[in-house]
Amino acid sequence: MKKLIQFELRKIFSKRLTQAALIALFLLSVLLGFSAYQNMYASDGKSREGTGRVAVEIDKAIAGKYEGLLTDEKVQQMMIEFKPKQDLHGMNAAYLYQNALQSALFRNFSDLNGNWNGFGVSDVFESEEIKIGYIYGWLQTSQNMVRIFVVLSLVVAIMIAPVFSGEYGGVDNIILTSRYGKTKCATAKIIGSILAALIVTTVVSIINFVYAFILYGGSGLDCSILFAPADFATEYIPFNITCGTLLNYQILLAFTSVISVTGITLVLSAVCKNQTAALVASAAVYLFPVLLPVTETSSLFKIITLLPLYHVQFASLMSVDQVSGKVLYALLAVPVALIFMVIGILVSHRVFAKHQVL
Amino acid sequence: MELKTIELTKKFGSKTAVNHLNITLTNGVYGLLGANGAGKTTFMRLLCNIQTPTSGKIVLNDKNIVGLNEKYRGLLGYLPQHFGYYPDFTALDFLLYVSALKGLNEKNAEKKSKELLEAVGLSAESKHKIKTFSGGMKQRLGIAQAMLGDPHILILDEPTAGLDPKERVRFRNLISAFAKNRIVILSTHIVSDAEFIAEEIIMMKSGQIVHFGKPQEITAEIDGQVWECAVPSAYAETYAAKFNTSNFRNTDKSETILRIISECPPMENAVRVQPDLEDLYLFYFKGDIEE
Repeated sequence: MKKLIQFELRKIFSKRLTQAALIALFLLSVLLGFSAYQNMYASDGKSREGTGRVAVEIDKAIAGKYEGLLTDEKVQQMMIEFKPKQDLHGMNAAYLYQNALQSALFRNFSDLNGNWNGFGVSDVFESEEIKIGYIYGWLQTSQNMVRIFVVLSLVVAIMIAPVFSGEYGGVDNIILTSRYGKTKCATAKIIGSILAALIVTTVVSIINFVYAFILYGGSGLDCSILFAPADFATEYIPFNITCGTLLNYQILLAFTSVISVTGITLVLSAVCKNQTAALVASAAVYLFPVLLPVTETSSLFKIITLLPLYHVQFASLMSVDQVSGKVLYALLAVPVALIFMVIGILVSHRVFAKHQVL
Repeated sequence: MELKTIELTKKFGSKTAVNHLNITLTNGVYGLLGANGAGKTTFMRLLCNIQTPTSGKIVLNDKNIVGLNEKYRGLLGYLPQHFGYYPDFTALDFLLYVSALKGLNEKNAEKKSKELLEAVGLSAESKHKIKTFSGGMKQRLGIAQAMLGDPHILILDEPTAGLDPKERVRFRNLISAFAKNRIVILSTHIVSDAEFIAEEIIMMKSGQIVHFGKPQEITAEIDGQVWECAVPSAYAETYAAKFNTSNFRNTDKSETILRIISECPPMENAVRVQPDLEDLYLFYFKGDIEE
């Protein structure tokens, strides 16, 4: 069995299309990360401003001054430090951007003119303890990973679509007449597919994490996402979780998405008679939820968000109310992925074993 | 070992590819002859259990092969007429993969794979990628994979297609040496290959067996119906078209000798000769060939 799994992995990774897709995915990871880094802007409101490395240094320096639990005193100090020095010409101060901490502050504690809105920390965050610090880099990484994981799921479909359908071009004759063709070989194909998907997801996650560590350093992972600058999707997640927890959830959901896509693609690969049809069908099934006209207020929304495309666009899934016991609804993605996988395993194994060579 | 088909039938829509076929095969080499569309490939696929019969069954030593599953497939070696391969695998990798599918242990797999590559004349190319192989080389690799694991039932669909004469001789010798105490079934359009290797000939037409027996026995059916006649070379083609002609050869006297299958003497100078398998094939399939 071990040998058969090795051969299946080799078949998956030796395909030109797979190799090209993986290279494109790794390049996308690097380019998105670098582009986000280069486009960062920050000003300390006094003497220093810049983009890229300078912006990160400014944001980190400012965050360093206020690091720790968010208190009313810190709010007041920051309001003084970041008070707009120019006329806003009627623009809402919440849209003013000098640096990451200022943006987060104004989003929660500023009136239209950039003055304190009169709220205390407990008014905005109730009894939650909000730890602040440098989180901008991690949130940017999280945002990039949404795009990367959408592409990753498609790359997994590219990798796995030929696993069964690719054999129907003639090798099925040989496989299905060999002793273990209908049994261990089918199992090895499934295990190989799952392993390949998990390996690629792990590598992509590690690359993004390491890259973020190199660009932004390790601080901020224990800070709350609720005190985030205005332009982050995380603002729709109404729970007081840390950046580290957020990234853990995001990566968990990337794995659930990839596992779901693997299950779906295995079925379609076994059913379709050629690999192109299997790939197109898998991609269509994965992407079709974007066409559904379902809004967050619809009762269907909670079900739709459990489809794999929404696992990687994790903000929607993470925004759904907690289920009992303070468990995030997003965790339901795990049993959903397992259901997709079990269906994928059972159906593809059976269809391949029963395949009639014509 | 006894492999038996009982009322074996396979239909594709309204077309019947194999029609109530009953045959018992014991150890030996069987040559399966028939024109295109006679049902040979379908019959072989049914024997390999990669197509399900519409009705009837196949039994091995009185047990239905469907229930035998891995036990049956463990006895089987199959060379399909058109087989796929992995272009980026080397010949040795491909055989190692098939070995794994057949359940050979790693040590034995490598040894057997190298032996078979040697036997089919591919040992020098064992590390070459299959995508660089010619059609004949791929066919030899296909023969090697079918023989991996010393199968007790070897089914070869057009094994000599694409082989040059030297390789065909090598193949014949390989099969002859291998066939002892095994059931070997091979289909071919090259009648001389079947005549040379096969102990028994199965002739199929329209999904049914029209003849089954040793070559010399089944040719007896057309004893007295094969003639050789000398005609002027200028008219050879006209005569050949007029009669059921299995062969013609030119002599050095501006004459051509026609080999004609006919119930009565086709010409005054016709000389009766001993029929061979090719004559019998033509006797049965002339209409099919012309189609």
